[in-house]
Amino acid sequence: METAIRTENLSKTFGSTEALAELDLEVSAGEVIGYLGPNGAGKTTTIRLLLGLIRATRGRAEIFGLDAQADPVRAHRRVAYVPGEASLWPSLTGTETLHLLGRVQGTVDIAYRDLLIQRFELDPSKKVRAYSKGNRQKVILIAGLMTRADLLLLDEPTSGLDPLMERAFRECVDEAREDGRTVFLSSHILSEVEAVCDRVAILRAGHLVEVGTLAEMRHLSALQLEAELDGPVPDLSTVPGISGLEVDGSRIRCQVTGPVEPLLTVLTRVGVRHIISKEPSLEELFLAHYGADGSEGGSEDAVA
Amino acid sequence: MRWPRRKEVYGERRAARAVAVTTATRAGWQGALWGLVFGATIAASASAYAGLFPTTASRARMALSFQGNTAWAALFGPLRRLDTVAGYTVYKSGMTVIILGAIWGLLVATRVLRGEEDAGRWELFLSGQTTRGRAAVQAAIGLGAGFVALWVPTALLTVGAGASPKVNIGIGASLFFVTSLLAAAAMFMAIGMFVGQLAATRRDANLLGAGVLAASYLIRMAADSDAGLAWLRWLSPLGWIEELRPLTGSRPFAFIPIVALVAVLVVVAIRVARQRDLGASVLASRDTAKPRTLLLGGQAGLTVRLTRPVIAGWIFALFVTGLVFGLVAQAAGTAVRGARGLEQAIERLGGTSSGAASYLGFVFVIAAGLVAIAVAGQITAARNEEAAGHLDNLLVRPVARWRWLVVRLSVALGLVVVASVLAGFAAWLGAVSQHADVGLGELLKAGLNVIPPAVFVLGIGGLALGLWPRGAIGVVYGLVVWSFVVETIAAAFDSNHWLRDTSPLLHIAPVPAADPNWTAAGWLIALGLLAAALGVAAFGRRDLVGA
Repeated sequence: METAIRTENLSKTFGSTEALAELDLEVSAGEVIGYLGPNGAGKTTTIRLLLGLIRATRGRAEIFGLDAQADPVRAHRRVAYVPGEASLWPSLTGTETLHLLGRVQGTVDIAYRDLLIQRFELDPSKKVRAYSKGNRQKVILIAGLMTRADLLLLDEPTSGLDPLMERAFRECVDEAREDGRTVFLSSHILSEVEAVCDRVAILRAGHLVEVGTLAEMRHLSALQLEAELDGPVPDLSTVPGISGLEVDGSRIRCQVTGPVEPLLTVLTRVGVRHIISKEPSLEELFLAHYGADGSEGGSEDAVA
Repeated sequence: MRWPRRKEVYGERRAARAVAVTTATRAGWQGALWGLVFGATIAASASAYAGLFPTTASRARMALSFQGNTAWAALFGPLRRLDTVAGYTVYKSGMTVIILGAIWGLLVATRVLRGEEDAGRWELFLSGQTTRGRAAVQAAIGLGAGFVALWVPTALLTVGAGASPKVNIGIGASLFFVTSLLAAAAMFMAIGMFVGQLAATRRDANLLGAGVLAASYLIRMAADSDAGLAWLRWLSPLGWIEELRPLTGSRPFAFIPIVALVAVLVVVAIRVARQRDLGASVLASRDTAKPRTLLLGGQAGLTVRLTRPVIAGWIFALFVTGLVFGLVAQAAGTAVRGARGLEQAIERLGGTSSGAASYLGFVFVIAAGLVAIAVAGQITAARNEEAAGHLDNLLVRPVARWRWLVVRLSVALGLVVVASVLAGFAAWLGAVSQHADVGLGELLKAGLNVIPPAVFVLGIGGLALGLWPRGAIGVVYGLVVWSFVVETIAAAFDSNHWLRDTSPLLHIAPVPAADPNWTAAGWLIALGLLAAALGVAAFGRRDLVGA
């Protein structure tokens, strides 16, 4: 299968700040991948490196086998990019902006563009300066999607959109997946990533710390378990894989990493009246990497 | 970890003064800088007089040659007592300071009272301890502080120059003169405040204000062209300044309409600001428009579309400048013939002819400077495209970086060529209408002759964009201002050739007072193109840099 994105040792340093460190990532064509990380983790830096807008300090970035840094023009023929903040020309109307960006891109599916204008409920006759933030975002989103490019690089694309428009956006990502196009989605909205992405990559302080499907990540992560026993709670300190144990009378709550069988064996000896187990959500997986207080976060302004 | 609780409490009064302090700081710095420029201009004009016209006879001859020259009066205002240093100073520096002061006053006021609102910053102020009306009052106070900052250095330098025995203008007369000229800045600050409430965007407010300025200038132009129309002066704010007659028979009562205009407009602007919604305007703005996609087929068309009003403005301005040069060339050439000092100045710049051609050679250096400013504006526009993030929209699509910069520089070059040639042609039209003995070919050459320094400035601007994007605007305007300063020094004094060589404006011959120096022109163009090529190459290798 064709590889849509490949990075090798891709690194970027701004002064003394290391924004991205030795990123090795491969995204197959047709895949929908979520790219997560707190502010300043290096998500926008990665996308700007893939687009050739900034120069790599080290390493290499390829888009469909083309060197994204050395030959951006050819690479961009197969790419559509949607930034999180639309900086458009204030004196142009929505129609004029879409016309211009379509001409510059070279390929536009006119019927699909009109469908998107309807779907996102955009009034294209307005001047950009008269649009609200959400409506400006719609223009830049439609400008990216209307090209039906092979690779969609989306950097927090639903920033400023209301929940109805977010749903419309998810429809568009589903259509892209059905068409076999690749989507690289950087987002803070974890439910959005959870809903649309096949794989997730998590970035922390410029380093890639996790890549995999949600199922793989859940398998490697702790299972949340709650149980009510028939008798007194036995000694669970020797059971392997247990953490965060809380005991309240005959009730217990804990996390289990790895096989759950040793714990069940001990509990069934006492008798189990009620048991609930829950897989971690993406949010819990994400927070597990950063701590609930977000203390691992850096400064987006400094590096992104 | 728990942070110790610490609450910084600013006084309510201090918080409520935030708009006034912010406005005064910004307007104050700008005002002080312009004050230095205005003061230096006035001081230089006054101090140069004695050198240029050393004898009573030369002064009388010069004054006589301007007598009845309506074209000259239309341009610079009534020419009174040119045989005195006071009269000459008014003529030489008055209109320049008036116009530049008016433009600055307008721009700084629309920035505070509409630009901040456009950018969304005004609502941050209004969410604090203030109201729309109070914020507008504070903005007016801040602008007032900016005016004081403009007035003080202008007055100090003018009084200082007046104290010289060769100039000998009293302190009272100097202060009256400065206050008269800077009344234009005050009036157009008030006009800026008012149009900022009328228009929906700062750009529209500036257009309205510029319209008022142009109308004021044209009305006083008509009034100064014909004695029968002199009453028209009372219909123009710039005419009121002329009626003050500073240094040439002061008439302070003309301050009455000036003060009244400022007071009324400031009060009305504050009332409108208090009553209207944030973001609203008295004149309805057009938020929708029919799509005009003719020029939106690609990057080159987009560049033309975005810069079209500025390009048209510069071409028009250069055409009018050339026309005015031509109209006054005959009379001015006669004046030059009588003034050894002016002839020496032209000789220092490399001119040999006399009469109208000599005068045109002298003033076309000004046209060269204007074209260089237009180039600096184009470099600024290119940099702002990148800083605002607009350029990202193009470069994430199949547009090569080198192509974008080459197109931008080419559009600027096109502006330079068209504006320069038209300036030459317009000068010929004006000169012919006054029966001056200067041919079309000579004046087209004069127009073409201003292109090489502009190409050099364009190249340096392109190089700065490639190597030091955040400094590019400073570099290119710095080069233009430096060239002007060196050119002024070179015309007034015998100066060191190393100093002269740093100004691209001094490497061209003063055509049509002399034949074009093709070698120097070739070098300027070659160096400009080389610098631009290096800039394009560097731009392709660097990160895009935001504001």
